[in-house]
Amino acid sequence: MITLWHYLAVAAALFGIGLVGFLTRRNLITMFLCAELMLQGVAINFVAFARFHGNLHGQVFVLFLLAVAACEAGVALALILMLYRRGRSLDVSRWQDLRELGVPAAADLESLPVVHAEPDPTLTPAGARPAPVAEEPARV
Amino acid sequence: MSDPVTLALTILALLLGAAVVTALMSGSAACKKFAHMPIVVACGAGALLSIILVTRVAAADQPQFGYGPLTWFAAGKFAANFSITVDPLAAIMLAMITFIATFIAVFSSGYMRDEHHQPDAGYVRYFAVMSLFVFCMCGLVLANNFLLLVGFWEGVGLCSYLLVGYYYEKPSAAAAARKAFLVTRLGDTGFLLGIMLLWKLGGWHTDLTALFDHLVRNPPPTEQITAACLLLFCGAVGKSAQFPLYVWLPDAMEGPTPVSALIHAATMVTAGVYLVARCAPIFALSPDAQAVVAWAGGITALLAAFIALAQTDLKRVLAYSTVSQLGFMFLALGTLGAVSPVFAVVAAMFHLFTHAFFKALLFLASGSVMHAMGNVIDMRRFGGLRTVLPTTHLTFLCGAAALAGLPLLSGFWSKDMVLESLQFGANGSHPHAGSFYLLMLVAMLTAALTAFYTFRAYFLTFWGPTVVPDEAGHHAHESPAVMTVPLMVLAVGALFVGIVAEPFTHWFSGFVGRTPSIVLAAKLAGAAAVEHHFNWGVAGVSTLLAVGGVALAYMAYGAGGPERVPVPLAGVFALSRNKLYVDEAYHGAFVKPAEWLAVMARVFDLFLDSLSRVIAAVPRLVGAAVRPIQNGLVQFYALSMALGLVVFLSFVVFRAGR
Repeated sequence: MITLWHYLAVAAALFGIGLVGFLTRRNLITMFLCAELMLQGVAINFVAFARFHGNLHGQVFVLFLLAVAACEAGVALALILMLYRRGRSLDVSRWQDLRELGVPAAADLESLPVVHAEPDPTLTPAGARPAPVAEEPARV
Repeated sequence: MSDPVTLALTILALLLGAAVVTALMSGSAACKKFAHMPIVVACGAGALLSIILVTRVAAADQPQFGYGPLTWFAAGKFAANFSITVDPLAAIMLAMITFIATFIAVFSSGYMRDEHHQPDAGYVRYFAVMSLFVFCMCGLVLANNFLLLVGFWEGVGLCSYLLVGYYYEKPSAAAAARKAFLVTRLGDTGFLLGIMLLWKLGGWHTDLTALFDHLVRNPPPTEQITAACLLLFCGAVGKSAQFPLYVWLPDAMEGPTPVSALIHAATMVTAGVYLVARCAPIFALSPDAQAVVAWAGGITALLAAFIALAQTDLKRVLAYSTVSQLGFMFLALGTLGAVSPVFAVVAAMFHLFTHAFFKALLFLASGSVMHAMGNVIDMRRFGGLRTVLPTTHLTFLCGAAALAGLPLLSGFWSKDMVLESLQFGANGSHPHAGSFYLLMLVAMLTAALTAFYTFRAYFLTFWGPTVVPDEAGHHAHESPAVMTVPLMVLAVGALFVGIVAEPFTHWFSGFVGRTPSIVLAAKLAGAAAVEHHFNWGVAGVSTLLAVGGVALAYMAYGAGGPERVPVPLAGVFALSRNKLYVDEAYHGAFVKPAEWLAVMARVFDLFLDSLSRVIAAVPRLVGAAVRPIQNGLVQFYALSMALGLVVFLSFVVFRAGR
């Protein structure tokens, strides 16, 4: 028989995997996915308790949570895209600019293998070639 | 215009207007050389108006005219009214102040110029402050409310500060101004406390007339009224330069000489005498306070006369003589319980009145000497100026003779009245009659000393071989007419004002004696009325003393030249020359401890400052230690959050599980 404890165990596992992943991985997209895992772990908690208590409070909360998570995904992915365009890298440790003055930047003990990124795919131009446009400056 | 109150207010308005107009003149360079006009016009008109005022008051049946009370400000039982009173006492003071000030202003317009007869740099400032000075003094005389009186009293103090410190670039002048202000301030503290005590004793009145009426109807315990009197007298001691607060007055000559004339004769130092005379009904209630007033006056008179004996600075001799003469006035005021105040207060006021003429004259004449000698005033460096400065010499002689009390001159009559009131006091049944006898002897000794030092200064300056200091250049000459004419007018006053006003007609005593507050004081004191008659005994003795003093001075200094001190008297001479070391004693007793206190306070302040700096450094150090945590790594932040969450959660869980 599947009891409340089973649901809670799954939720805790999801949350733990997400937390560990968030703390250990440096890829921005992976970190984002881990954050989503944590969110979903919490959502399962809510649903399980809603079922256990026999009311809809938790379910309503989860609906809100899904909507917020969708928005968050939109904003976060857009931010990650912009960061990638600026730095040509998804490594989160590239962005240490907000540290205290005078504190040296953290560096890797042995540098990561350099991966030559494929250039962004482009469509074959048709008709007149548009005038080359300078890279859009970053808006902060 | 015939109403005395209107006249008095007009005089006040004229003087205040003169001060404002003169101050506005400072904006324009073209106006500068006319800066003396407003005060001369205002004081001249004021003098004429106040003479009319005197005749009006003399002709009135009830010689007191009140104005007010317009409430200035009020809170609860306390009300400060803008009320003035015009009575014979105020009227005669007003006439004296404006008359003397007119001539001092005219003299100043000649004196305050450089060697090319161009106005001095501070010409406008000088006359503006001088107008304000005369205005404040007139307001003080007219005020019928203690708060208003204090206002004008402080105004006089402020103006004296500004004028004594006129040459403010000179450190000694700035120090003298500060000293004048602070020392009189010391007395003012007592004055304010006395007013508060009187306010409480006098049924919460601050108007003088209402207060006196209340005190007469409900006399408070004698010791309380004595305390109030002594506190009021503190103010008078400070302002009128009595022992022990006289030290500011001799230093006050750092200002221009006409300012000294103004301070010593018409304004400022007379304020204390006037205050005691005005408050005669209160002093009449307390025999002990009267004795204190008399003793303070006696000690001051003798002390200052002794110091004046050996001073080398001509103006300093005159300054100490002022202190001494003010002591005479307080001697007379001190007898107001033993003799009828109608006699005693009038004697003091009469001496004040005649003294104003000859002291203004003496100071202006010494100013004229200083002008001709290129600002040298040390009597050792000039001499025999009879031929160089003929007009100044004659007018100075008139003033010196009047001050010495030579028979038939102004000083003679007024000094006799003071001595006479002391004699009556000594013969009466007053509890302190013995003191008055002693003080009469002191006063006679002082009279002899006065004659001696006055003529010592005269002989050293004007007799003997002609000596002119280098500073005078080759142009040592008599001053221009704008300076000598006031001298001549005042000389006539110094010679004749006494004989005209008192001995034959008794006009002065009849006039001032009708002042309601003095009549009230006479009723309270209960002393026998005194006939105004010529007292041959006193007159004979004082003539003898004056002539003796002059003769002694002639024997010692008639030949002029450098001063020779008989060997046995060298110690006494040094004591007098060094002003009895009073300044040094005060410096050691009060100034030095105050400086130490200031140093201690500074050290304590530094300690507090550093303490607060240490306390402020603690958060800064903690911040510096913790700041490197902010390293910009996202994962480090996330880890911190997670660890924090773990700590928090385990706390919640284990607490909840217990």
